Order: sequence, then structure tokens, then C-alpha cells
Amino acid sequence: MQSNRSGSPASRGLLAAMHPTGQAGLTARFFALLNDRRFLPLMLLTPVLVFFIIWNTIPLLWLLGLSFQKYSLTSGDDPAFTGFANYLEILGNSSVWQDLSRTFVWVFLSVVLQTGLGVALGFLFWGSHKLPGRRIALTLLFAPMVLTPVATGTFFRLIYDPTFGILNQVIRAIGLPSVDFLGQSSTAFWAVLAVDTWMWTPFLMLMTLAALGSVPKAELEAAEVDQLPWHQRLRLIILHHGKFILMLGVLLRTIDSFKTMDLVLQMTKGGPGSTTNLVALTLYRQSFESFNLGWSSALAVILLLISIAFTSIFIFVLNLKRRGDAA
Amino acid sequence: MSNLRQTLYHALLWLISLLFFSPVAWLMLSSFKGRNDILAVPAKLVFTPTLDNYVQLFERNGFLQQLLNSFIMSVAAVIVAVVVSFLAAFCFSRFKPKGTDFLMFLLLSVRMLPGTAVILPVYLMYVAFGWKDSHAALTLFYAMFSIPFSVWILKGFIDGVSLRFDETGLVNGASWWHVIFRVVLPQVRPGLIAAFIFNMIFVWNEFLFDYIIGGRKTANVPVALATGAYADGGVDWAFVSTLSTVYLLPPIIAIYVFQRYLLVGMTFGTVRGEV
Repeated sequence: MQSNRSGSPASRGLLAAMHPTGQAGLTARFFALLNDRRFLPLMLLTPVLVFFIIWNTIPLLWLLGLSFQKYSLTSGDDPAFTGFANYLEILGNSSVWQDLSRTFVWVFLSVVLQTGLGVALGFLFWGSHKLPGRRIALTLLFAPMVLTPVATGTFFRLIYDPTFGILNQVIRAIGLPSVDFLGQSSTAFWAVLAVDTWMWTPFLMLMTLAALGSVPKAELEAAEVDQLPWHQRLRLIILHHGKFILMLGVLLRTIDSFKTMDLVLQMTKGGPGSTTNLVALTLYRQSFESFNLGWSSALAVILLLISIAFTSIFIFVLNLKRRGDAA
Repeated sequence: MSNLRQTLYHALLWLISLLFFSPVAWLMLSSFKGRNDILAVPAKLVFTPTLDNYVQLFERNGFLQQLLNSFIMSVAAVIVAVVVSFLAAFCFSRFKPKGTDFLMFLLLSVRMLPGTAVILPVYLMYVAFGWKDSHAALTLFYAMFSIPFSVWILKGFIDGVSLRFDETGLVNGASWWHVIFRVVLPQVRPGLIAAFIFNMIFVWNEFLFDYIIGGRKTANVPVALATGAYADGGVDWAFVSTLSTVYLLPPIIAIYVFQRYLLVGMTFGTVRGEV
């Protein structure tokens, strides 16, 4: 079979000269190449890079390009290069500034509320190791985090309903008038914030438990022996060991809270008026309801920059923690 | 006395847990109510349970397909993501190529960006390439979105595997691939599990991306819920509660079974430990 393919003895010699060990050698060399320390890193990285380029770099460049164009699907005009016009329009647009500042208020309040409650719950659950059915109790407690936000948002509309909602039935039962929580501008923001807090307080509680878990028991026992006052224990021992984990939790929540979209879309669609209109929702509407693509791309670029700033702070704290762990 | 204190303490903890769970419990309870009982005033705690809503849900046009979409896309995306991420994480951990830190940062920031901002250009790209409403294209996008998280988790775990294992393998004539898959892989199983579970929960619950770059064929359950909730001018609460109950059971069971991995899973592997 071999001789058939390689032809005359002379040509076989030529083939052998080109590939010193013939067919088997080729395979072996292929495997040697696969195993070559010089190419290995690149081979291992290639799949990720391919994914990253197709689904990240190309779309982001596309976005950047569009953000300098006047382009709307509804107007029917061809896209036209307008330089920084979209950005200037956004920076001068008072309703975008309102949405942005509302979003920052939202982020601030949700992070403060959830951190406060989460830390309190974390301390409360610190000594819970003997709790009967602890695993089930924690599962129930952590459930809000893993529910589909679309389902949560929709179902809370029933709970908040002025006529049929269980919450208003309780309110009426204690003799107060019904409140249309999601329907009036004075309460809608707080009602959505309450649901967000219900969903994410368990996350901060989880982080607090982790932070408390990282405190060495010996130091706490020593403090007990020395009868250190509680505020000193908190500052010198607990915060000293737990602060980084807690900070990472707060930062992750800040980043996530900035992205809130599904929940408001389901619960209020940004209304009434624009009282619950967070900036991610503005972007959604301008892109996929008004198809104002050039303008939306510019807003998207601005939001991306804000998130990247948050992420950099997260990484900075993470590196501080690493350095602290290594020392 | 101390016993009584402990009992009270435990009762308080359970009360808090149940309080947090009560909206979900209410949702689940509603799914067993007849259509009239769901909106009854005063609300009914005692009622004749019925499975009608479930029968109707499973007979609903397209529901099984949507459930299957959710399941297949989350499993497939996460398998692809974890394989790709494991290789990259090994590379970052062992060879530390130039720019490792920067690449890790870029990857993480993908996951930190607002979904609406990310999906806009992807939507334009998918429309231009004709990839909209395709299972494969949507799954690969989900895989892309699961990669950053998996790389971060797995790199942390691979860093924890001593280099001596690699060296021993290589000195004894094993190939790099043997070291990667037979020596290191089995030691990072907790990382693999955490990456699997938490990305699956993410894709399982994901709404926006499917809604924008998917379509009729690829709609998952959250999309079905958002678009199918309205009927006869109002919200179809029987449908909402039944669908949600069916859909949220897997994630809840997952955090019960994999509670050890919850912390790693929720923090991109940046924080270890157990609760």
C-alpha cells in the first residue's frame, strides 16, 4: 500500500528526504508541535480570543463607529458621520441627566440599604451553626437572588396591586386606605427599590458571613479573655480581617445595581412619568423601541465607560486584598 | 436559660428566612389556586388546590419548546464556556503571558457592563450577518457571556494547584495535554462545578439577550413569561404564577445542593470560603 502511494523507489527517496521519517513522522511532529512549550500558551488562548474578538471586539468597534453617526432606523435616512454630535446632544440633554442622576440615587440607596440590612443579618446569622435545618433556612433566604428577575418583577405587581394585592389587603385590614404603590409617582420608586432590596440583601448577607468567617477564631478568643470592648473588637479584629471581602461585596453590588433593567421594565416600564426610569432602561427604549441607533450607541459608550470605571475600582481593591493575603 | 435563649435565637433566624421566602411561597401557592381564587379579596389561604393551571401550562402552544430552549441553551453555552475557559485559565495561571492582568480585566469588564449597552451592537451584528433567531448563534453569545466568570473562577482554582504536580508529570514524560486534563483538571473540580452551576443559573434566568437577538424559534421561558403574561387586557396571573413556579424550582434546588459553592459562584471566584 505504501509503495503504491509513494511510486518509484527514487521518488520514495525524495519523499524521505523531505520528511525524514515518512508518514508516521508527520503525525509525531504534529503531536510534538501540539506539545511545544513555545506554542502552547497561544493554543490554549486561541478559543477565548476568538470568542472575545467575534462577540466583543467587533461589536464594540461597531458601537463606537455608530456613536459618531446620525443613524435612525425610523427616519429611513442613510447613516451620516456627525462626529461628536451625539455625545454633545446627550451631554446637553436634561432628561438624560435626570435619568443618570436618578440611577445614581438608585445605586446609592440600594447599596446602602442592602449593605446595612445584609451586614445586620450576617452578624445575626454568625452564630447559626447549630440551627436545625440550617441548609434549608439558608436556601430559602438566598432564593430571591436566583429567581428569574422577569418572574419576580411580574409577580410583585400582583402583590402591590391596589385592589387584589396581598400587601394592600394587609394595609386595609389595619384600617389604612389602599396605596397604588406602582401607579403613583410618590411611591413607585420606593416600591421597586424595596423589591430590589428584597432580592439582593441576601447577597450582602452572604458576603458578611464570608467576611466574618475569615476572622481568625484565636484573635476573637483572645479579645474575649482581654475583655476588649465591643467597638474595639469590631474595629481592631473583625473589620481588620473582614473589610476587603465586604468591600468586594459592596462593589459587586454597586456594579450590578447600575445595570438594573429587567426589574423596572417588568414592574413599571419606567413610569409613572419617568419616576422609575433608570438609565439602562432609557438606553433600551432608545435602541429597541425608538431605534435611534446613533444616539443610543453614544449613550451606550458613556455607560460602558462608567461601568469600566467601577470595575477598575473593584480590581484595585481586589489587588489590595491579594497583597494583604500574601503579606 | 441559655437553652431558651438559643431556641428563641433559632426561631428568629427561621422567621427571617421564612419572611424572605414568603413572596415566593405566595407565588407558589397561587399557582395551585383556581382562576377566581387567585384574585380573591380577601385573599384565600385555605382553598381547594387544583392542578388545572399546570395542565393548561403544559398544553400551552410552544411552552415545551420554550422550556427545552432554556434548558438546552443554558447547558450547551455553559459546557462550551467552561471548556474554553479552562484552557485559557490554565494558560493565565501557568504561563502568565504578557498582558495577563489586562486580559483578565477586559474579560471581567465584559460581565460588568450593562446588558443593554452590550446587546445593542451585537443585535446590529446579528441582523447584518443573519444570525438572529438562531439557536447556535444565541448559545455562542451566552457562552461568551459565561466565559469571563468561568475564567476568573478557574484561574483562582488552578493557581491553588501546586506547580509540582505539573513538574512531576512533565519530568515523567507526560505531555502538556496530559498534565492539563489528567493532572490539573481533576483537582479543580469544585471550580468547574461552581462555574457550571452559576453560569447555568445566569443563562437560565436571562431575558434581555434572548428577547433582542432571539426570536420565536429560540424564545426561552423568561421571554415567554414577559410576552405571554397579558391576556384579555389584563395580566394572566394563573399563567404567571404557574410558569414562575415551574421555572424557579431548578435554581432553588441548585442552591440547596450546591450551597458550598454559592460564595465562589456569586463573587466570580474572588472570594473563597463557605457559609
